[in-house]
Amino acid sequence: MNNSQAEPRVKRETKNTIKVEFDRTPFWQRMKAKFINKNFLSKVIWTIFRYVILIGISYIILFPFFSKVSSSFMGPEDFVDATVKLIPKNFTLDTYKYIFLENKYMQALGNTALLSISAALIQTFICAMIGYGLAKFKFKGNKILFLLVIFTMIIPHQTLQLSLFMKFRYFDVLGIMQLLGGGASWFPHLNITGGVTSINLTNTYAPLAILSATGLAFKNGLYIFMMSQFYRGVPNELEESAYIDGSGIFKTFIKIILPLSVPMMITIFLFAFSWQWTDTFYTSLFFTRTSMVLMKNVIAIPESLNITYAGSNMYNAAIRNTCGLMIIAPLVIIYLFCQRYLIQGIERSGMTAD
Amino acid sequence: MNKQADVKLVQNTPKKRKKVHSLEKKTARGGYLFTLPFIIGFIVIYLPVVFESFLYSVTTIERINAGESYQLVWAGLANYKEALFTDPNYSQVLVSGLQQLLLDVPAILIFSLFIAVLLNQKIVGRAAFRAIFFVPVILSTGLILQIDVSNTSLMSYMSDSEGIGTNAAQTTSVAEIVSAMDIEYLFSNMKVGGGMAKYVSSILNNIYNIVNRSGVQMLIFLAGLQSISPAIYESCSVEGASAWETFWKITFPMISPMILVNFIYTIIDALTSSTNSVMVYINQVYGEAGKDTLSVAMAWIYFAIVIVAVIVAALLMSLFVFYQRRD
Repeated sequence: MNNSQAEPRVKRETKNTIKVEFDRTPFWQRMKAKFINKNFLSKVIWTIFRYVILIGISYIILFPFFSKVSSSFMGPEDFVDATVKLIPKNFTLDTYKYIFLENKYMQALGNTALLSISAALIQTFICAMIGYGLAKFKFKGNKILFLLVIFTMIIPHQTLQLSLFMKFRYFDVLGIMQLLGGGASWFPHLNITGGVTSINLTNTYAPLAILSATGLAFKNGLYIFMMSQFYRGVPNELEESAYIDGSGIFKTFIKIILPLSVPMMITIFLFAFSWQWTDTFYTSLFFTRTSMVLMKNVIAIPESLNITYAGSNMYNAAIRNTCGLMIIAPLVIIYLFCQRYLIQGIERSGMTAD
Repeated sequence: MNKQADVKLVQNTPKKRKKVHSLEKKTARGGYLFTLPFIIGFIVIYLPVVFESFLYSVTTIERINAGESYQLVWAGLANYKEALFTDPNYSQVLVSGLQQLLLDVPAILIFSLFIAVLLNQKIVGRAAFRAIFFVPVILSTGLILQIDVSNTSLMSYMSDSEGIGTNAAQTTSVAEIVSAMDIEYLFSNMKVGGGMAKYVSSILNNIYNIVNRSGVQMLIFLAGLQSISPAIYESCSVEGASAWETFWKITFPMISPMILVNFIYTIIDALTSSTNSVMVYINQVYGEAGKDTLSVAMAWIYFAIVIVAVIVAALLMSLFVFYQRRD
């Protein structure tokens, strides 16, 4: 240290580089000062603790999926063999094969895809529209409408299931059908529809289409809320300049606002799609007939696999899980590619309480 | 030339002014147009549905014309009385369901805040962890949840590894870990009381359920944490505050609006989830012949109790919520 003023000594010189040796603290002492102290040690312990917690919880989340996948490849013998854990001994694809062949999987896939995609498309567009209207326009009742949107979110739909069913089983808008059918007590002379006073909309796509088109379907309040939070962050100058250039309100919405909100709309679409895909409430409420094959009808034990033996309890559970795996297979693929949108969407909408 | 043009302009303006609406009127009209689907749906479908739901809870339904139409018979409060006093299971299910809700909500809030704080720090694989924690929100809903309910025997079979579980009485792997750690013994030495120990061990037994239900909450907290200005933390560390102090003095007050939002979200989510024990029981009653209006009355009772509790709790919490921007 005392000769710190001395010139650095040239150690080695090649054509391109010069290696210079500085007079400084030895390597191991520097390392000791850096790594053996209270600050660094507590940092290491904290890092380890954090990873243990995070990996442990990831394990809790992912383990059921691993065990479902592994049990889906097991033959019936494996469930009575105590030595088989997680890794199948009698590897078989029969479970998948028979579910595919005997549970009308393709039919359910087609029907559910049509239902989910169309419902999600309608919901995305409608929620964007309503969210935009609530966020960007000042009109009488704006705040009340926003509260009503929250209100639809709060009432659990189990409370409304009977009246929803009755509404669409005996569908009638403002008593028009009743009037046409001669059922109206104040004007009984009219009878155009031959005594039919209501339409039965169950077992069709109509109830879900109507609910989606009016922003009342599953969790649509949440989507409207997210969209309006997003639009609140869009600067007003964009629309103002469009208005000045002579564009109308709707043209501005379609040409300027919608392209701007594509990432958020993808988020909403993915949520609507995947929640509709695994939905049990609306499908079991509106689709009572078994001729309409949806994903909920796939969950059954195929005839060929229906055997009784000591492990059949567990074997049947494994088959049901395999049905579940086949149901969520398209969702898993979508999630792998689009989870970025889902996560960023919620973060971007901010959900701020102010 | 210019003067002539001016004269023309002046002559033309009064005629045009009658047609042109003010911008305010125009935007008001636009607002109504954009929200029209919701307004129509709310008036034509939602309000009647809510009203009829009330109506059904005080009537019984008689189908006439071979199911083509129906008739409502006034029953007064009979459905409510039956739900509360005659039905052997409902009041029990209701009380235990409310108890469960009371225990689950703080657990979910604390857990998701904890994970959000962990994930907010710069660590390797942060995006991957975030994606994993969000998996249940998409994949463990509806149908899958229904399958999972009848799954416990298989799960214990699969996770019954040689290391921990030789005890056949334990049902889940987590329960085995808990018993191996002997958490109750741990707590009895800490002098926090038996109730606390029981609560923590019940949470640990239930951890899969809690983790599954805190995906969205975690993201909301994460968004809140990221909106806190780093300058505040910087000045804190300059002043010499420890991480513990920084959390309680800075992070916690700044995140408190999110706690209120998540509190309400968690309860609404629990209300509408298909695994909620009260809702499962109500669904079961709904499926029984001739008891559909009874199930509606049960649902209204449950909803009324929870919503009153939520409003009271939210008002109490909002006294302690800190908003950075006070206008």
